[in-house]
Amino acid sequence: METLTHILNGFTVCLQPINLWYTFVGVFLGTIIGILPGIGPSAGIALLIPVTFGMDPTSALIMMAGIYYGTKYGGSTTAILIRTPGEAASVMTSIDGYEMAKKGRAGAALAVSAIGSFIAGTIGVVALTLFAIPLSSMALKFGPAEYFTLMLFAMTAVASLSGKSPAKGLLSTILGLMIATIGIDLQSGQPRYTAGIPEFQDGIGFIVVVVGLFAVAEVFRGMENLYYGTAPQMIRISGKLWLTREEWKRSVGPIWRGGIIGFVIGVLPGAGGTIASILSYTTEKRLSKHPETFGQGAIEGVAGPEAANNSDTAGALVPLLTLGVPGGGATAVMLGAFIMYGIQPGPMLFQNRPDLVWGLIDSMYIGNIMLLILNLPLIGLFVRLLYIPSGILYPIIVAISVIGTYAISGSMLDLYLILSFGVVGYIFDKVDIPVAPLVLSLVLGGIMEQSFRQAMTISGGDPVVFVSSGITVTLVVLSVISISMPFILPRLKALKSSSDDAD
Amino acid sequence: MADRVIFISTLILAAVYFYATAQIPMLEIGDPLGPKAFPRLLGIGLLITAGLLLLEMLRAKKVAAHDAAPKTPLAWRHYLVVGAAAIWTGVYFMVFEWLGYAIATTFYLLAMTMYFHKGHPKTNVLTSALFSFISYFMFTQLLGVTLARGLLPF
Repeated sequence: METLTHILNGFTVCLQPINLWYTFVGVFLGTIIGILPGIGPSAGIALLIPVTFGMDPTSALIMMAGIYYGTKYGGSTTAILIRTPGEAASVMTSIDGYEMAKKGRAGAALAVSAIGSFIAGTIGVVALTLFAIPLSSMALKFGPAEYFTLMLFAMTAVASLSGKSPAKGLLSTILGLMIATIGIDLQSGQPRYTAGIPEFQDGIGFIVVVVGLFAVAEVFRGMENLYYGTAPQMIRISGKLWLTREEWKRSVGPIWRGGIIGFVIGVLPGAGGTIASILSYTTEKRLSKHPETFGQGAIEGVAGPEAANNSDTAGALVPLLTLGVPGGGATAVMLGAFIMYGIQPGPMLFQNRPDLVWGLIDSMYIGNIMLLILNLPLIGLFVRLLYIPSGILYPIIVAISVIGTYAISGSMLDLYLILSFGVVGYIFDKVDIPVAPLVLSLVLGGIMEQSFRQAMTISGGDPVVFVSSGITVTLVVLSVISISMPFILPRLKALKSSSDDAD
Repeated sequence: MADRVIFISTLILAAVYFYATAQIPMLEIGDPLGPKAFPRLLGIGLLITAGLLLLEMLRAKKVAAHDAAPKTPLAWRHYLVVGAAAIWTGVYFMVFEWLGYAIATTFYLLAMTMYFHKGHPKTNVLTSALFSFISYFMFTQLLGVTLARGLLPF
């Protein structure tokens, strides 16, 4: 009953005119960021943090969440019209969405992705509302050892699922943790790895790293494509922005299934929107009576993945809000933002600041309605953004990154750092080292070390504390499985195929 | 080739990190573990990662020997373009505080757009100047964000 009161109170918070305005600004910017290639939700949220200084934290976080789920709506537009995912999770939409557009059904593809996103986004928020309380009450039992092993699991899962090579994912994770150790050690007051540079005593800010790795590096990649003249051609919207009765009938199932798949994948650490949409696509293809139409403009191949990558965002907020542990790059940036406002997400937040948590969650119901309006009747306005020549857009993204970074600290060193991380991100992309694990472990590094040291202090220096409860044992086992599976599975497959051959 | 470089760099980084960790002065106050324990674990983690990288390299070698794909000559010109863009961005940062955000950004954008958006000089000049000055005034005057003033009197 108390929970219901909190949920309803959340609506009074998010329906305040100022919060409605910031929900709108968030989803509006999210749609733009999603449509524009070269900047995704992680960099978008990080760049906006300086502008939100001095704002009420609830409003600021409502806006940032709006950017996060708004990008998923915008990303599909670019995928459908120019076959380039505006946002990584729209990659599956670019296959059948673009084929539909080529056949003159761009309007229907955009409509089904907006409607599918809305339905699945709402399914996701309903599930988030239902799961938040039981999970956060369970998390109240967590001590430092449980938190340490939980973060370990989140990181190993992200490491092994983010890229092509789990070893490179792990490398990226450890690099992030190492960067997090730079600066004054909070418990002993000792400076670590500062190389005598005073600015490093406060550590390297995650915003600098995120902007470098996600925005500047993406600009370099874009410039490379411009040099080769591989910038794709855009298809103009044709046909009505609505579905025929038959198209609608074909889309309903995929939207519901995609919504559920997306939420479940979102809750689990590591996988994220891209994997959710791939999973939905393959599911729909398998269930279809005409799997051969996939890749030729099958509407199910747009409806399912778009639904999945939207409910994934609501799912991803479950571990962030209830446990305080994000499971991917964008939610890690959101955790960084929470911490900058002096708010620690996790079970205590539901008890201490129900207005903030439920205001944020409830704002997502309203944000999804706003997004449906922005992305259906008003989509024609946003599409104009795609006419901005990339040769102008990319340099401007660097300038925006400069504003976002310099505004926080006024430090020149930070500017050199975004350039350095930009170059590093570009090189990492060339050699297939994923960057999302680095960002996640950088944001979690400080808390992880603290939990480690607290747990060891409580146990009197005995590491058995990390395998002393059912929860820690489960999490340690899951961590080991997630790292070793990619190495063991191919061997098992090889063994199986050789024994099959012998038969 | 790239994987070999990553493997060796990982080993070098682990060595440097272990060395730097040993240099942290120890004061036996606060917690019993001190500031070195967690970094040491990370160093060990990095060595394990190097081992896994080696494992993946060996496996990739087997697969490659199995179905040796024809090698395509590596194009390298785009690296020059990206390198030049990175250096120009570095120059932009060097003069950033001296010229100020608005002027430095105008020059930065102008050179970049002239190269990457060839054949539209008027649009490029206008966009570079308008974006730089409008964003400068919007952020400093309306949003109260501090940006380098430089040579500008306001």
